[in-house]
Amino acid sequence: MAAEEKDILKEFTGQEYKEGFVTQVEQDYIPKGLNEQIIRMISEKKGEPQWLLDFRLDAFGKWQKMRQPDWAHLHLPQIDYQDIIYYAAPKKNSQRPTEIDPALEETFEKLGIPVKERKALAGVVAVDAVFDSVSVATTFRETLSKQGIIFCSFSEAVKDHPDLVRKYLSSVVPSGDNYFAALNSAVFSDGSFCYIPKGVHCPMDLSSYFRINASGTGQFERTLIVAEEGATLSYMEGCTAPMRDENQLHAAVVEIVVGKDADVKYSTVQNWYPGDANGRGGILNLVTKRGICKGEGAHLSWTQVETGSAVTWKYPSTILKGDYSSSEFYSVAVTNNYQQADTGTKMIHLGKGTKSRIVSKGISAGKSENSYRGLVRINPGAEGARNYSQCDSLLIGSQCGAHTFPVIRSSCPDAIVEHEATTSKISEDQLFYCTQRGIAQEEAVGLIVNGYAREVLSRLPMEFAVEAQKLLSVSLEGSVG
Amino acid sequence: MKHLYLIGRDEIPSDIVLTSQEEHQLILLALPGVSADVPVNIRLAGEGAVIDVFGLYLNFGKERVSFRVNLRHESGHCRSRQLFKGIVGAEAQVEFDGLIYVAKGAQKTSAFQENHSILLSDRALVQTRPQLEIYADDVECSHGATIGKLSEDELFYMRSRGIPEKEARALQMRSFISAVVERIEDEQIRQMIYDKLSQCQA
Repeated sequence: MAAEEKDILKEFTGQEYKEGFVTQVEQDYIPKGLNEQIIRMISEKKGEPQWLLDFRLDAFGKWQKMRQPDWAHLHLPQIDYQDIIYYAAPKKNSQRPTEIDPALEETFEKLGIPVKERKALAGVVAVDAVFDSVSVATTFRETLSKQGIIFCSFSEAVKDHPDLVRKYLSSVVPSGDNYFAALNSAVFSDGSFCYIPKGVHCPMDLSSYFRINASGTGQFERTLIVAEEGATLSYMEGCTAPMRDENQLHAAVVEIVVGKDADVKYSTVQNWYPGDANGRGGILNLVTKRGICKGEGAHLSWTQVETGSAVTWKYPSTILKGDYSSSEFYSVAVTNNYQQADTGTKMIHLGKGTKSRIVSKGISAGKSENSYRGLVRINPGAEGARNYSQCDSLLIGSQCGAHTFPVIRSSCPDAIVEHEATTSKISEDQLFYCTQRGIAQEEAVGLIVNGYAREVLSRLPMEFAVEAQKLLSVSLEGSVG
Repeated sequence: MKHLYLIGRDEIPSDIVLTSQEEHQLILLALPGVSADVPVNIRLAGEGAVIDVFGLYLNFGKERVSFRVNLRHESGHCRSRQLFKGIVGAEAQVEFDGLIYVAKGAQKTSAFQENHSILLSDRALVQTRPQLEIYADDVECSHGATIGKLSEDELFYMRSRGIPEKEARALQMRSFISAVVERIEDEQIRQMIYDKLSQCQA
């Protein structure tokens, strides 16, 4: 009996961060540091056209004039931008350029990401897998291209569809938008590109999977999604990294353009390495995500489950430009140990009858800090605009912090904006009810937290929902008692 | 202790400290024609202190009013409640910046904050920042904020019963601010508020 108990315990504690392994694969690096030379080198390695190099250099110029923002409720460790390797790619076996390196394939298999098209999974989900600075595989491209859907790595898109990339790149997040977006615009390496033509319903979920492997590097991916009039798309994003004592930088930019009556659903399960129990190491996740509902009746939905990263600085936003367009933001952010999260959304209402809904659930445990920061802005002329925001925070333990910093700005007399927020701990009654029925305290907390986050979790696509539920309970392990 | 401050007439204490078991009520009124920046710092320094803060703003001109409430729960078992309501029209700009801060160890805190505004014109602006910064776990804290308009359904209800539009709107506004006005004991001031409200109609 005792031995069995030990096994269970071992299994439980061993779960901590199961994606923390390192893949031994020969890598191609460029020297450390950040300057014009490095940017030219990245651009050359990727065989980019002149306009993209100019775009990078322009962004670099803007970045040099900017200061790292300090308004977030975060203690960001000093980042030495000259001490980062901005490009790392697994060396390709030139004899077999069409094959994926078996070591990489194994890595992604281990993470549960199918990089080879499998019959059993056919028609379920197409994946673009990004390993450090390059995309190593994109599945189901053939099937998708029959319907005119373009789904490939960003680098390929630059080569094969330069007009589309040029038209939409930085149309939602300008290169000088903020410090980290400017940095990304200067040094971005790879990411996913997705284009859904007019009236096409994407037959399967598309997914990007990001993996940081190399040490001393940063990941700067760029994702661009365009859904033309009447198109629909469900997009998923996942991320993991090895366990290391150093902080690694991840500064991504995601841009989404949603056309008239198009519908895009963007889901993220963020599980970067959060650092150890003493707050050493972990990913600094500083990303800019923004979408624009360009046409009438466009719809964009953000769903995020944030359990990883030492520091999260992330505000997926929507510009509601088209009349009667709508957007939603559903978020669960869990922080434990010394993790810090400052996350939320911005909803900018420009068009008539635009609607937005924000549901944010924060859970803090250990010695972590978890903040919701958001903006709802109603411009004059956004007649009949409507927003509803709900931000709840759950505190587990007396050493953590939970904060809410919303801004609501309205200058439209015909709009209605509502915001409410609550902060509390897990109710003793609920805990007692569970433990009294023989459910262990830790399990009971997991149960209650899952119930608390249900409204958001139920919005996730099936594959993600299961993973997210597991992640929630793993992230909170050791936070009770 | 109950205090009523008319912004522009009275000097408003910017720092208020409550010791153990002290109870305090504060009413802040910003009536038409007054522009002001109102910082209010409240510290609940002793256990079991209770504070109620009520605010009302009626601005129908070019006023600039900003309330900056910094309410700090530094001890356990304290209670705080804030209710700010207002009607903003023409080119007025009102900003509400309210922070509830709960220090580490201030357990059994109960804090509640509400801010509701009615916007009458598209040249007016209301910005509200209700904030919670919480470092203790055994607490009950919440805030709510809305910016909206007078309900069309209510208006229709009254008009279908023969109440003229102007009168109906005045009634709606009166009822909207009543939660604050009913806290005012001074009959004269209450009358003054209703007079100002009817002026905005003209």
